[in-house]
Amino acid sequence: MALVEIRNVHKTFGKVEVLKGVSLDVEEGEIVTIIGRSGSGKSTLLRCINALESVDSGEIRVEGQKVHAKMPGLKKFRQRVGIVFQAFNLFPHLKVERNITLAPLLTGRIEKAKARALAEDVLTRVGLADKIDAWPEQLSGGQQQRVAIARCLAMAPHLMLFDEVTSALDPELVGEVLKVMEAMAKQGMTMILVTHEMGFARNVANRIVFMHQGRVWEQGPPARLFASPETPELASFIASAK
Amino acid sequence: MRSFSLIDFASLFIALRWTVALVVLALLFGAPLALGLAMGRISRFAGLRWTTAALIQVIQSVPLLGLLFFFYFGMPVFLGIQVPALVAVTVAYTLYTAAFLGEIWRGGLEAVKQAQWEAGACLGLSAWQQFHHIVAPQALRLSLPPTVGFLVQLIKGTSLASILGFVELARAGQVVSAATFQPLLTYALVAAIYFALCLPLTLWSRSLEARLDGSR
Repeated sequence: MALVEIRNVHKTFGKVEVLKGVSLDVEEGEIVTIIGRSGSGKSTLLRCINALESVDSGEIRVEGQKVHAKMPGLKKFRQRVGIVFQAFNLFPHLKVERNITLAPLLTGRIEKAKARALAEDVLTRVGLADKIDAWPEQLSGGQQQRVAIARCLAMAPHLMLFDEVTSALDPELVGEVLKVMEAMAKQGMTMILVTHEMGFARNVANRIVFMHQGRVWEQGPPARLFASPETPELASFIASAK
Repeated sequence: MRSFSLIDFASLFIALRWTVALVVLALLFGAPLALGLAMGRISRFAGLRWTTAALIQVIQSVPLLGLLFFFYFGMPVFLGIQVPALVAVTVAYTLYTAAFLGEIWRGGLEAVKQAQWEAGACLGLSAWQQFHHIVAPQALRLSLPPTVGFLVQLIKGTSLASILGFVELARAGQVVSAATFQPLLTYALVAAIYFALCLPLTLWSRSLEARLDGSR
């Protein structure tokens, strides 16, 4: 059984059908990168996986459990599936430490006495141990995004979703975030990313999924997909992304 | 006629307790109600949004004086029982406070980005935890200046209770001025006391703003 099973998922916003029958399996430990043009449904699919959006038809299962916004145990489920956003979404009124420890403390994952150690641990993993007492706005975009990743890691998720996490960053800050993600990939974290970073998709992912017009248009290992795309749509997307 | 003495001075300060009592009562009942109205205004349920919006609209559109008269003369008629004036006045100030604070706080809540709720939800927090730990503290900081502004309005607004027989600060000023024939001195004193009451609030609000926003 795959960790994530997506079966014939449809999703409509108003009159626009964003997902038109998407099916996709992601195995444990896999790094899957979803690429495609704006409006192809990539981000929506990602948001459906952790029930930020509900699917109209079809189904998504994670660890065998059917996912939707009114599922039983939604809060527990979300603790197992981390998501990192384009806009970081750190809590600006809390210091870095509290940003990280708030959810583990409130959900009873850890005791108060161990909170700071947990924050130190996950911050070390993203290379920001020295920023534990900083305010979010004192950090650069790249650092904020790494704190957001650390905040997710503190929940010890089984699966991590990344929604264009480098798109809002200055070019010189992209690398530090990708490096953190690469390290997580090496440690065996299952990851699904929506990204425009073709280099990262090529070098780190096990599999590339090209979405086009709300469908999975083409997928396969990065080497083959980039070298010999089967569809003209992917070929033109690769050409334009260079 | 007698000259302005320490007794007159004292009577102003004694009257101050009604001013303070009315403010405390208005906040005690009005603030929780305001929070409820603010949450109703941003609720997912359209019915609740409309009801609270209508309620706020009506209360905000009626002069405070009108509210006071309405409940003072109206409650015995509608409820069929005689209620103490204090109850009627408390109801009027409570609704007044709830409507204005509710709308101020709604603005604060809405100014916090939707993504903040979402970020909390994605970490497995309940809707209440998202509100309590993430959105409300940010909304509070944004709402603080207008909240204190309203508080100052409320303090001065308690003077209207004098028409229903409450000898609060403004009414006491009238009495003292009539007894001493020193209106200028008396009302200057009354104004100074109001000022002394409101100034610390504004100062406190500024320091709280700075404290809630430690990063800046």
